[in-house]
Amino acid sequence: MTIDNISHRKKFLAQDNAYLPHIAVIEKIIEETPDTLTFHFNFKDEKLKQEFTFESGQFGEYSVFGVGEATFCISSSPTRRQHLEFAVKRVGKVTNALHRLGVGAEIGFRGPFGNGFPLDKLKGKNLVFVAGGIGLAPLRSLIWNVIDNRKDYGKIDIVYGARSSADLCFKYDLEQWAKDESLKMTTTIDRDDGQWKGKTGFVPQVLEQAAPSAKDAVAVVCGPPVMIRFTFPVLEKLGFTPEQMLTTLEKKMKCGIGKCGRCNIGDIYVCRDGPVFSYAQIKDFISSEY
Amino acid sequence: MSIIKKIAKKDLGKLLDEWSRDFTVFSPSKASGIARMEVWQGGEASFLDWYRNTVIPPKDIVLPLLEEMFSFSKSEEGYKLETPPADDSKRLIFGIRPCDARALSIIDMTYGDGYQDNYYMQRRNNTLLVGLGCTNPYDSCFCTALGGNPHDTTTMDVMLTDIGDGLLAEAVSQTGKELLQKTAELKAATEEDRTKAENVKQAAEKKISRNIETEGIAEKLRACFEDKEFWQQTAAKCVGCGICTLLCPTCYCFDISDEKTEDGGVRVRSLDSCSFSVYTKMPMENPRSEKWQRVRNRVCHKYEYYPMLFDTIACTGCGRCIRLCPVNWDITQTLNSLPG
Repeated sequence: MTIDNISHRKKFLAQDNAYLPHIAVIEKIIEETPDTLTFHFNFKDEKLKQEFTFESGQFGEYSVFGVGEATFCISSSPTRRQHLEFAVKRVGKVTNALHRLGVGAEIGFRGPFGNGFPLDKLKGKNLVFVAGGIGLAPLRSLIWNVIDNRKDYGKIDIVYGARSSADLCFKYDLEQWAKDESLKMTTTIDRDDGQWKGKTGFVPQVLEQAAPSAKDAVAVVCGPPVMIRFTFPVLEKLGFTPEQMLTTLEKKMKCGIGKCGRCNIGDIYVCRDGPVFSYAQIKDFISSEY
Repeated sequence: MSIIKKIAKKDLGKLLDEWSRDFTVFSPSKASGIARMEVWQGGEASFLDWYRNTVIPPKDIVLPLLEEMFSFSKSEEGYKLETPPADDSKRLIFGIRPCDARALSIIDMTYGDGYQDNYYMQRRNNTLLVGLGCTNPYDSCFCTALGGNPHDTTTMDVMLTDIGDGLLAEAVSQTGKELLQKTAELKAATEEDRTKAENVKQAAEKKISRNIETEGIAEKLRACFEDKEFWQQTAAKCVGCGICTLLCPTCYCFDISDEKTEDGGVRVRSLDSCSFSVYTKMPMENPRSEKWQRVRNRVCHKYEYYPMLFDTIACTGCGRCIRLCPVNWDITQTLNSLPG
């Protein structure tokens, strides 16, 4: 990690204290699926609201005061600054508490943390986005970022899937991307559920059928670990090198700044050195604990 | 010019009283039923009779087991957060052993790197270390294997040597020099005292027999990372109690949690341990769900990952994890029996 990277992020520390959250207000709640909500929020502090910047792929530590903190990526794009977004699947203590909040409720936010996607390396390239389930959250920040700077990038392929049509997140985005003639959108569900009129099949298989070219391309993959594990070999088959594949890793985190210890994979701290890694980097990890 | 002074053991209480006027002085104590550093209460200093090392390492003076990061309260205007008043009191740890002092310099690497952890760094920067060399190390001690020794002065301000009827005090840092110069209770040391101290140091070093071969140890650990059978055997008798990490002077990992009170609450951080399954547990999966994976992480973090990050082994050979383990798990045995 470079010093510049640190000083950039230090701009948004509350009272120069990385553990002290900023107060933010929930402005809108969207039900994505029966167990997943998207929250739109803004900082209470007017100055921070104006000045806050982040990069696609970065994450925050979100507080429900009295319950605790949890880690989520920022799912909105830095090119759309009216508010910030994050998506939460109801799985544990903090996520359940978040699901009980209403519009107007106050939460805490620390961040942005982590490295984000390397936009400079994506510019001028054809991009292939592969996502499963709520794994679309970090990618949609990047996808909107790319769409809003469309001329900087080549062809765009998106392959997105979920278990069933009810589990598809960000349907309002999927609709817009399907209509967008500057990109190719493929949506799939694992098995035909009777209501679905689109493609069926697992994401890696559908990706193989879509067969995007590896030439001048970078693939960005995010989803459940099993999907990621089966997607990398498909991409390799399509001619992508490990350097041409990016993903974002998920680990339990507490501090977000490389101090508390738990998100390590060998000497790597996912919170500080990631969460975005190339498959080439992952293959180089000295530990297989990811 | 080095500053060397002396205090008679019978006058030690008076010395601590004098320093207590300017500092919160911590010294070895069993007052709570367990040997640890506690605030000097005055009177006769009798701890030298029993003190070999504390059970609870002195890291808890700069890194409390539990500490408030901020409090929150809710009103009509919403949440208000308040950090506790900055603790800028001057502290002095009297009698800290060289292994435990060096351990603080190892924690400094993580907490001072990148984002400064101000909670820790402020206390650390306001704490003077007056070390006491060991004359009677345990058979579980192995500081000499890790570049230390029973009279190592790393990160100390003042170093004391037990010369029988008194303690010889040598200034190590500039702050230590100033402290010794202004302390009235300290007397001039003689040439004979210095010779005695030199002999004590040499004798103590000879008493440490436990050893590990650190040459190439990171490479060896990397080579056996995937040797599941080795790690399963190594971890077989571990009961996962976490004592080896909680009482380790270099372990610094923490948890962050909220404590609710009537009209708000506090966010606290508390010492955590990689020995516990919940440490890495996410709702859907856990990268270290098995005990052997956690034992492997603990050993590799100290002897492979920390050297990769900071060029330093995150162990000082204090031996607590061997002495205090309920099932006699022995890290030196593991390190000396790595396959390959």
